[in-house]
Amino acid sequence: MNNKFDALKDDDSGDHDQDNSSPKDGEKEKNDEEDKEANTTKRKAVVPGAGEHPLQYNYTFWYSRRTPGRPASTQSYEQNIKQIGSFASVEQFWRFYSHMIRPGDLTGHSDFHLFKEGIKPMWEDDANKSGGKWIIRLRKGLASRCWENLILAMLGEQFMVGEEICGAVVSVRFQEDIISIWNKTASDQATTARIRDTLRRVLNLPPNTIMEYKTHTDSIKAWEDFHGLVNASGGR
Amino acid sequence: MSMGSQKTTSQAIPTTRRVILNDAAHLPHDYSTTPGGTLFSTTPGGTRIIYDRKFLLDCRSSPLARTPPCCLPDIPGVTSPPSVTVNNEKAYPKPTVNNNSISPPVDKSTGEDAQFEMDI
Repeated sequence: MNNKFDALKDDDSGDHDQDNSSPKDGEKEKNDEEDKEANTTKRKAVVPGAGEHPLQYNYTFWYSRRTPGRPASTQSYEQNIKQIGSFASVEQFWRFYSHMIRPGDLTGHSDFHLFKEGIKPMWEDDANKSGGKWIIRLRKGLASRCWENLILAMLGEQFMVGEEICGAVVSVRFQEDIISIWNKTASDQATTARIRDTLRRVLNLPPNTIMEYKTHTDSIKAWEDFHGLVNASGGR
Repeated sequence: MSMGSQKTTSQAIPTTRRVILNDAAHLPHDYSTTPGGTLFSTTPGGTRIIYDRKFLLDCRSSPLARTPPCCLPDIPGVTSPPSVTVNNEKAYPKPTVNNNSISPPVDKSTGEDAQFEMDI
């Protein structure tokens, strides 16, 4: 019924682009409860092991996948997203990364998120609410390599913007993949410019690559407009 | 500055300082560090732990980096193959999802030159 909107939604990267079709899948509710449990429990502080190389920050891997037929709401977004695990050292990062599929091999409408521990990959998180993201659209076949370069630069503190980086997302979509990096202060132009330049350098982007900066406020507005359009009650 | 001294007394600024390394393991791991201390102690935003891509990739082959993480959630198609459940994965030679075996030796070891040309 709303196929014409799918293109619109898929045009965004890795966040609330929910499927807003039929909110009629009550049988999934039980799973949601369990998922939520999994997201909130096991919160032991991770520390670098002996002989490992500590990172400047601890990070958490998340995975989300759009389930067809879900009601569109913040809640369902939060329930759809799963924590994979947190790490504090280079070696711990590789342990996770090496046991996860590469983004280019993911199927369907899925995202990997790598955020600093304690920051949820959601616009509403305190660290994100005044922030924004750089978005780069990639033709199919490039996502795995670009994602790896992006997260290695983030973990290795190559961006040199102090505390500004929040996390990174790779979004696997139908015809293209999107990588993005989120920062805290969208209005800080020195920071966003430096992030852009670092992205160019670490991703080996040709100078004519289109990079788009989007504030989360704009993303939220677009999301609300869109859902107001298809669903008078707004959904959130 | 000198290693192991308990208190610091005022001294002339040394023009050279020798740091003797007895083992290659004492070499610093990143460019911001010199043997015996940090060279650039004041960087914008304070001292940070910086690693370049090559160093991070080199760490991947360390035994410490190759054991499966504990409590890795089983997400079919993401942390395990779509069908099989990965459980007793003590011996990692054939973990079911392990992109260690697919990617790094071939396309990573060649370093910067291996970067692809991208046209978007």
